[in-house]
Amino acid sequence: MSKMTQRKSLDYIKKDYVRTRTLTGSWYLASYKFKFNITHMKPFLEKLKEKKLIGNQCSSCNRVFYPPRQVCGKCLVKPDKWVDIRNTARVSTFAISYLKDPETGEVQERPMVLVHHDGADTTSIAELNPEIDVKDVYVGMPIIAHWRDETVGGLMDIEYYDKFIDDSDDIRYKK
Amino acid sequence: MGRQVAIASAGFSEHASKRSDVSMPELVSEAIEDCLKNAPGVEIGDIDAFVNGNMPAFEGSNIPELWMTDWMGARNKPLLRVTTGGTTGGTVAISGYYTVAAGLPGIDTVLAVAFEQQSQGDTSVGLASVAYGEISILNTLGIPYEQISRLLSAGAAIGVAAYQATTYMNKTKIKEEDLARVVVQNRRNAAKTWWAHLKMPNLTIEEVLDTPYVQYPLRYGMVCPASDGACAMLFTTEEKAKDICDIPVYVNGVASVANETAVLGYDGSGSCQIDPSMQLGAIRSAELTYSQAGISFPRKEIDYAEVYSPFPNQELMWVEKLGLFEEATAPEMYEAGVTAVNGELPVNCSGGVNATNAIGASAMERPAEAALQIMGKASNQVPKTVHTSIGSGWGGSLNLITLMAMSDQPRRKF
Repeated sequence: MSKMTQRKSLDYIKKDYVRTRTLTGSWYLASYKFKFNITHMKPFLEKLKEKKLIGNQCSSCNRVFYPPRQVCGKCLVKPDKWVDIRNTARVSTFAISYLKDPETGEVQERPMVLVHHDGADTTSIAELNPEIDVKDVYVGMPIIAHWRDETVGGLMDIEYYDKFIDDSDDIRYKK
Repeated sequence: MGRQVAIASAGFSEHASKRSDVSMPELVSEAIEDCLKNAPGVEIGDIDAFVNGNMPAFEGSNIPELWMTDWMGARNKPLLRVTTGGTTGGTVAISGYYTVAAGLPGIDTVLAVAFEQQSQGDTSVGLASVAYGEISILNTLGIPYEQISRLLSAGAAIGVAAYQATTYMNKTKIKEEDLARVVVQNRRNAAKTWWAHLKMPNLTIEEVLDTPYVQYPLRYGMVCPASDGACAMLFTTEEKAKDICDIPVYVNGVASVANETAVLGYDGSGSCQIDPSMQLGAIRSAELTYSQAGISFPRKEIDYAEVYSPFPNQELMWVEKLGLFEEATAPEMYEAGVTAVNGELPVNCSGGVNATNAIGASAMERPAEAALQIMGKASNQVPKTVHTSIGSGWGGSLNLITLMAMSDQPRRKF
């Protein structure tokens, strides 16, 4: 270094001001307008009305996206093929959240799961049947989609996921 | 082709949950002063350029780097602000490195500053602004906003980290005691570090397990605090560093790798990372950094590691993913005391993010502390001589990893 000098100290600040002055302010985040392209979702949402699940497949790496995606991040290719997906799934991972009722003060345990549908390569976030005991949930648990009686063409048409016994042939072959 | 860069000094401000005695510029000035105290040959006029960063929107002020220019001594000098969410600190450090490595005429000494004053603003609003853009697409799929906020009820970081913890615990077959052991080690280490926030010298595993769940499997006693604090690092060239300090720390490798967002995915469309604890980004960043630094056997060659771990399961995960331990063996190493201060491979002797988390600054405190351990100036100095160390950062939606490998020998391969 050019000069071997000590830097002047700024220690005097603390002696002068013991506390800082507080001014309140707020941001209004609700006034933003986020834009999304939803054209690639139309076939998917229409099929949901018929209680059927579809996903789109990347023609380059053959990964199936559920819900559909506009671009495959691995190949930078537009997935253009629609494939059917089964309504059975597995619990990919889960967490249990503890929700406190503001009125009664009762704490409700609720497992939040990431479901991995059979035939898809992605996970999506979902809810389990509230009757399932929290302690029974495990990673890899087989589950099945439970549809609402009246469908409107949205992901909420799947009310929740139910537990079921997986006796498909795949399991036997795996063993 | 780039040139060798050295860290001449690093400094911290004092961390606390509410630093109500200082404003944000004063907090930054405190860290810079501590940084320059370690390098008495440098005065503020000798610094050629500044890099600055914090988490956007967390303390409610835009362009903070401009209104603290005078407090940094950056007036009429090149100034750059970088912000990448949770890894801001790591990216600021890497930008400081790049600024010197570029070899531009007249830019030899660069001061990198990262800071956060969370008590000033509403962190949950900041997090909402990060997540809202991703969440809104779910509205178009027919899920109402109330439903989503219930699904992700515990909020951004812990909401996703809990999923990660479940898969990690399932994969390694560990219990909550193993997670609590990591917390106990970190908070006891923090008690010996002057700038750390949560100092608990007598914490026990039972006390951690006694606290209620925030979100299964993470308990209240296991999660990181919200701190106010700042960190500064001084980057300079190889030649100048030899004049400034006794033991210059050479930056031998840097990487900043983003993988696909886990759990929610881009546009809320799900993630191809079926296992959120897989973390391909971390593995890739370790590959890049070690190849630049010429590290072939990380376990043997690295003497000290600072990993970014707000939650204990992540500390176990990162030391495995960054190549320090074999898959699924980290919990045993913590039990055996390999990672303790006097162990074979000390990890997070400053207490880590688990004890101090000023979000914008904490990813920079990792390489800063790792550098101070090589210089022998850290407040919780390990007894053995440290030759090579690493400091990592983690952020985004479980997907961005920054890593910096340092050594007392210039080994960067260009």
